Amino acid sequence: RGRGGGVARKGACGSGGMEAAELRVGFVGAGRMASGLARGLLRAGKVPASSILASAPSDKNLDTWRESGCRTTHCNLEVLQESTLVFLATKPHVLPGVLQEIRPAVGPHHIVVSLAAGVTLQTLQRLLPAGTKVLRLMPNLPCVVQAGAMVFARGSGAGDGEATLLKNLLSSCGLCEEVPESYINIHTGLSGSGVAYVYLFAEALAEGAVKMGMPGGLASRIAAQTLLGAAKMMLETGEHPAKLRGDVCTPGGTTIHALHQLEKGALRATVMNAVEAATNRACDVAED
Amino acid sequence: AGVLAAHKITASSPDTDLPTVSGLRKIGVNFTVSNKDTVKNSDVLFLAVKPPIIPFILEEVGPDIEPRHIVVSCAAGVTINSIEKKLSTFCPTPKVIRCMTNTPVIVREGATVYATGTHADVEDGKLLEQLMASVGFCTEVEEDLIDAVTGLSGSGPAYAFTALDALADGGVKMGLPRRLAVRLGAQALLGAAKMLLESEQHPGQLKDNVCSPGGATIHALHFLESGGFRSLLINAVEASCIRTRELQYLADQEKISPAAIKKTLLDKVKLESPSLSLASASKVSLFTNKSHSSKKN
Repeated sequence: RGRGGGVARKGACGSGGMEAAELRVGFVGAGRMASGLARGLLRAGKVPASSILASAPSDKNLDTWRESGCRTTHCNLEVLQESTLVFLATKPHVLPGVLQEIRPAVGPHHIVVSLAAGVTLQTLQRLLPAGTKVLRLMPNLPCVVQAGAMVFARGSGAGDGEATLLKNLLSSCGLCEEVPESYINIHTGLSGSGVAYVYLFAEALAEGAVKMGMPGGLASRIAAQTLLGAAKMMLETGEHPAKLRGDVCTPGGTTIHALHQLEKGALRATVMNAVEAATNRACDVAED
Repeated sequence: AGVLAAHKITASSPDTDLPTVSGLRKIGVNFTVSNKDTVKNSDVLFLAVKPPIIPFILEEVGPDIEPRHIVVSCAAGVTINSIEKKLSTFCPTPKVIRCMTNTPVIVREGATVYATGTHADVEDGKLLEQLMASVGFCTEVEEDLIDAVTGLSGSGPAYAFTALDALADGGVKMGLPRRLAVRLGAQALLGAAKMLLESEQHPGQLKDNVCSPGGATIHALHFLESGGFRSLLINAVEASCIRTRELQYLADQEKISPAAIKKTLLDKVKLESPSLSLASASKVSLFTNKSHSSKKN
């Protein structure tokens, strides 16, 4: 078992031998998604701040990283040289250029995880040295508070060890599942963008309450807690949401009256439309 | 269903030209034009006339109601209270049961609920339940739920027929011959209903079980949702229930417009007795030992 104190082992065949605590994690790109992931990892105590190195062209994004105790640089190559597990978190259109830049420093010991929406494993593998362990990750924003939903797909060079390592590491940020690459765009539509749908719903709930006379701040907090509680029940009981919905509906009561309103507004179809639109857009963007 | 021999059933109607009359005769039911005869020959009396006619019927047969009679009203929107009130002028403790059934009793897949009146014993309810259970599902409910039951399972078959007609159209549009389309549509609904009745699972779960990711069914369901399918069904049940209550209210006012009663019928009826007569009734042989000791559960 590799207890080399974080020294990168050449030719490591990824039997999951490297402990997360010794892992040196790098982020190329330090924007919202990257810092969300990093913050999640830190809060979960999986990786010490000193083991995290992030690069960005300007200091704008890097201040918060430094405040957390992470190391920062303006040099992408340095991230590759110092880290084993490297997250590519640049904007998608910038990524190809960055890959060209870092390619010389990428070795067989690296585990490269791309967060870039729409950039396929095929593209990544084409722009990196043959056999590089590449994986593609689609997280969502609540990784920041360790309640994220993430899916990842592995490239041809990545084995069970890398998948297990990534899954173990990221489980500290929420739900993390391996999927076929074709599900990634769907995940975007469902959960990546999905977080925004929930905010919209929460806002509307609160607004309804305000209309009925409740102060906005309180309404907002209660709306959020309601969503949290309902989601928690779904996750913990494993029961079908239709059944859980039925459990709340007393005959002739308030809930069923309200649900009728939602059905009249074809809420279900609208939500399906939203997921479909976001997924299709993700596919379109990928093709560009 | 074999629970009753045909000769134990008596039915009456002033209009003998109805196709249903010849149908009943063919199966061996005793037919008469006299409601009084029907009442005299029965123990369990089903009042199967249209709701506005009920008060007239009760006036007519009231004098012949005896303590043994169980009066079962199937009239939508007619309350137990209104029947008991009308009968109490003739009989101090009339046994009244109100029931709501639906047309598939014909194929022994009916959905029936009943509520017992003030003077009906537990055994009286159980007797009715035994009878109706032979033609489908039957359970006792509180009377205030009967309007909702009307909206759901009373009218329900009509919703299903409408759906089946449309499903068949869909099949025909996509190339199926009509007969086959109707047959397959009906079987699909029958099968789905059966699965649900025999399963512990929520219909939502059963639906999910049919929807493979990205497949045909989920695409179709999206169309249903976009059209507000669910809310249409909720609206329908609600409308039927509300209308039932309206009719009940109108009946309670006893504002029965003569137009509600076919003119020919009204004339014919006025010829006979002071009050109208149009009761279909059945006689039931008590095949259980009807003891009057009440078993308190």
